[in-house]
Amino acid sequence: MRRVLLGATALGAAMAWSAQAPAPDPVLRAMHDELERSRTLTVSSLEAPYFIEYLIDEEENFSVTASLGGLVAQRHERFRSPEVHVRVGDYKFDNTNYSGSGFSYGTRYDLERFPLEDAYPVLRRYFWLETDSAYKSAVEAISRKRAALRNLTAGEQIDDFAHAEPVHYIRAFARLDIDEQAWSNRVRVLSAIFAQYPEVRNSTVVLESGDGGFYLVNSEGTEVRAPESATYLRAQATAQAPDGMTVRDAVAFHSLDAARMPTDADLNRGVTALAENVVALAHAPKGEDYSGPVLFTGVAGAQIFAEVLGRNLAIARRPVAEQGRGGGSSASELEGRVGARILPDSFDVVDDPTQKEWRGRPLFGSYDVDREGVAAAPLHLIEKGVLKGFLLTRQPVRGFEGSNGRARMPGNYGAAAAGIGNLFISSSETTPAAELKKTLIELCRTRDKPYGIMVRKMDFPSSASLDEARRLISGAQGSTRPVSIPILVYKVYLDGREELVRGLRFRGLNARSLKDILAAGDDSAVFEFMNSPAPFALIGASSFTAETCVVAPSILIDDLELHPAEEELPNLPVAPAPELVR
Amino acid sequence: MIAHLTLPTPRLQPQCYPKHLIRLVSLRLTFLFAAVSVASAQPSVLLDAMSQELNRNFNILKEKADPPPYFMSYEVTEQETQSVSGSLGALTESDGGKDRFLDVSVRVGSPKLDNYHRVRGDRGQFTSGASLTYEDNVNSIKRRLWLETDRAYRTAAERLIRIKTNTQVKVVEEDNSDDFSTEAPAVFQQTPHKLKFDEAVWSGRIRTLSARFQHYPSVLTSHVAVLCQTDTRYLVNTEGTRIEHGRGFARVVITAAAKAADGTDLNAFETFEAVDTAGLPDDKAILAAIDRVANDVSALLRAPEAEPFVGPAIFSGRAAGVFFHEIFGHRVEGHRQKDESEGQTFTKSVGTKVLPDFLSVVFDPTRRKIGAVDLNGWYDYDDEGVKAQPVTVVDKGVLKTFLMSRSPIRGFDHSNGHGRRQPGLEVVSRQSNLIVESANAVTDAKLRQMLIGEVKKQNKPYGLYFRDITGGFTTTQRAGLQAFKVIPVIVYRVYADGRPDELVRGADIVGTPLASFSKILATSDKPEVFNGYCGAESGSVPVSAVSPAILVSEIEIEKKAKSQDRPPLLPEPMSMESKGGEQ
Repeated sequence: MRRVLLGATALGAAMAWSAQAPAPDPVLRAMHDELERSRTLTVSSLEAPYFIEYLIDEEENFSVTASLGGLVAQRHERFRSPEVHVRVGDYKFDNTNYSGSGFSYGTRYDLERFPLEDAYPVLRRYFWLETDSAYKSAVEAISRKRAALRNLTAGEQIDDFAHAEPVHYIRAFARLDIDEQAWSNRVRVLSAIFAQYPEVRNSTVVLESGDGGFYLVNSEGTEVRAPESATYLRAQATAQAPDGMTVRDAVAFHSLDAARMPTDADLNRGVTALAENVVALAHAPKGEDYSGPVLFTGVAGAQIFAEVLGRNLAIARRPVAEQGRGGGSSASELEGRVGARILPDSFDVVDDPTQKEWRGRPLFGSYDVDREGVAAAPLHLIEKGVLKGFLLTRQPVRGFEGSNGRARMPGNYGAAAAGIGNLFISSSETTPAAELKKTLIELCRTRDKPYGIMVRKMDFPSSASLDEARRLISGAQGSTRPVSIPILVYKVYLDGREELVRGLRFRGLNARSLKDILAAGDDSAVFEFMNSPAPFALIGASSFTAETCVVAPSILIDDLELHPAEEELPNLPVAPAPELVR
Repeated sequence: MIAHLTLPTPRLQPQCYPKHLIRLVSLRLTFLFAAVSVASAQPSVLLDAMSQELNRNFNILKEKADPPPYFMSYEVTEQETQSVSGSLGALTESDGGKDRFLDVSVRVGSPKLDNYHRVRGDRGQFTSGASLTYEDNVNSIKRRLWLETDRAYRTAAERLIRIKTNTQVKVVEEDNSDDFSTEAPAVFQQTPHKLKFDEAVWSGRIRTLSARFQHYPSVLTSHVAVLCQTDTRYLVNTEGTRIEHGRGFARVVITAAAKAADGTDLNAFETFEAVDTAGLPDDKAILAAIDRVANDVSALLRAPEAEPFVGPAIFSGRAAGVFFHEIFGHRVEGHRQKDESEGQTFTKSVGTKVLPDFLSVVFDPTRRKIGAVDLNGWYDYDDEGVKAQPVTVVDKGVLKTFLMSRSPIRGFDHSNGHGRRQPGLEVVSRQSNLIVESANAVTDAKLRQMLIGEVKKQNKPYGLYFRDITGGFTTTQRAGLQAFKVIPVIVYRVYADGRPDELVRGADIVGTPLASFSKILATSDKPEVFNGYCGAESGSVPVSAVSPAILVSEIEIEKKAKSQDRPPLLPEPMSMESKGGEQ
């Protein structure tokens, strides 16, 4: 379904201009002009805004979904989604970081969708009305926040907003250029692979390709037009074991450029392996309680760092809340531990969005400027195992003020959320990757264990259903937030034999567990994923995702606990599956 | 349950029906003997796959499952949509797609008592409206049918057990009619309709049309949208029903809003409906409608606020249609007569006078047009595979029957083809094309004279004229207030002393149903059509309400709740090429 691209001419023209000199991009011009005018906003005796920021996410994307050889959905969409941030008060105390910040008070104007075309007067009109709503909400929020604070004893005073240097960064957006017909065929063919595996209960293959970026203008003089592009293909499958347990697996391929996606043969191999994994899992025995060393090989090591370390490197600030009403999200496990050793002293961790390539492959989490218009620089988060800092946005957190350009996602209470870009984990003491399994066996032998555990894949980002994720959170054992479930788990016997087991969960695996890394491989897995604020970065649970990459070695961690899932299992269907026609 | 009728906005899924439908002969023979009415329809891969998988699952479940199902059906709704929206000359949305949704129905127990039995307002929800491939791929279709059947069966079996426990402990229900009716199977197949939409042409037109609002600076926000859809429904059940039918739909929606100095939000709208885009009006007619909408908003900004008032009024035909849909139509939906949590306004009124004897009300899903206007609430078969048929609910003021799905109520054992749903929800009885017929019809001029006469008689300074109503809502549940509220957009005061009519803003009509009907004095002789979407338990379904203008001796209006917000603090950023237009 090829659609006419609207406003293409205007966009093309804008690119030509920006190649020459000052960018008379009508979008940026409309944002700038309306923002300047909005500085004068006041209502009766109330204060004028001290900071205004306009952001537009723009994307044109194509997506196609297929199941067992039939297309289920195909969409070509183009949208612009604006965010207007108005702050009243001052950097020390404003309308944000309050449990009612970010809410809209009073009626909003019926603006429906944002104009897709670069019509300067219409864009200004939209920002005029959006700013009016945002300003009225900000004024309301700051008075409620003041009232709420009157009933609370003042704690530590942290500013509400950090200063930042103005940035001028203008790049052209890429235009979506993808052969939709060819990709629909490819996705259909890949989905038909599952027709050869009758035991696979449910399966889908999805391709999504998007080009666009964001515009950002603020009252401090920052002007940004930052391109963003991503294409991914993801396959998911489930099966039911004879005892009723649902097993699943997923595979994903990412690329910044649709033209550089893996070849058909590679995609085919990946999807076939997925089908075989799911069938093998359905036949595998249930795992048992285990306590001891666990080896995370290949991508599983990077997944552990992405989830257990990456997500704890951002600190959530507790908002001012009205009495009796709690606010805030789960705190970082690393909060207050700067200067403490959190990894073995051979480890260094750097987040570097500015690096574009790694061993010849474009890095998936690269960017120059974040969503608050702050330029990103390489950030040494952990040196010789010691925590040196956090991922920071313009929202000050205890002990840190000033962004380091990590605002990657929309956040809560008027702030942006921090996230990793390209996270590199390295160790100065490595073991040849092939030797790690032997190390694991040796450990088991000295400890008189019949087997050790090896994990080849975690369910991160999770392909679980919303229900399943909810059960996982509520049924989590241990004091910290649960980690995603391990999908490919093997018992490694002393003779080297590997046996796939199903239905195991980690108990108490958290950031502290990383101190107990016994060995790191000399390998480096590149793990690319779409990060989101949802628990387990659950696929489909968040409307916003950020391209992210983790480069990490295989790791062997001592003293981890696994337990079998304790869930009521459904009966097998009364009617067997319909026969598949080849 | 709160039921409401709304103006369809571009966000709602429109349903669509093609213009020149070749009506195929459809035969309803007794019992399992049904003849296929074959036209040029292609043999349907989807229908075949559906009936094969239906029979396979039904046979295995009947033999091996406990409790076994006694009835199953699959309904697939295929929707293809295209839409373009714009504001002030710039496009804001351009969208389209094709989808198929699957609804599975599994009944366990017996027609006397099954898993769909209502227990004090609690209804079962078994279907999920799962996405199904829109291609004719048998593997993909059958696998989804199987998975959804398994899921629906489990939910059905679980609820039956709960109901059985419940009926044993609760007091005997007043209406102990069956849970499911016996109907003759239907077989009907019709070639699906192709969506015809020229996106480039409509993008250009929407830019031009929506730019018209640039002439009206007092309108804060405005939208012009075109939507086109085809809708094909495939239905098979274990009684032998096998149906494929569809319709097309096209519509233009114009909306505008402004904010008065006191914070009141003011809106006006106009829509055009047709079976396909070819039937939509030309730019000249749409621009004229935009001018009307914009002028309405501008006039409302200057209009005084309405005061609470009780007195005589005229509802325009369109306004009267909405009035009847809300205060009457929702109360004759069959399932509400059986549910003891419902108000049951008319449950025991069959055979008695419920409206003035010059009024009759017919629900006729077989009517496609009234005069030159396409109706929105028509279909060939309902969502339980029962053929559409006209139902005279009120004849000369006397209540005759209710709108029936296959859920029987005391005295009414059969469906009359009004079981409807939006994909993903369970069927209940719903309205179709509501048509009010009058034997006391006078000209519009005469009706106005009668209004003024009534104003004088009651010693009121003025009466009211309701020109347009956006929609309304009514509470039918016993626990709620048995009242209705309808939201007029354009209301005039009609003075008895000959002053010109005066537009007022910010009024809501409130009342109780039974009291309101007795106050209808006369009607005009010109039926008008309100096309819209009705939202209730089974989701949003396309409906029409057709009525002549009505004169009522007494109606009550109250002040509308209003926003405390001020209008925008800054003036508009720049004049949008403003010249003329505004009146």
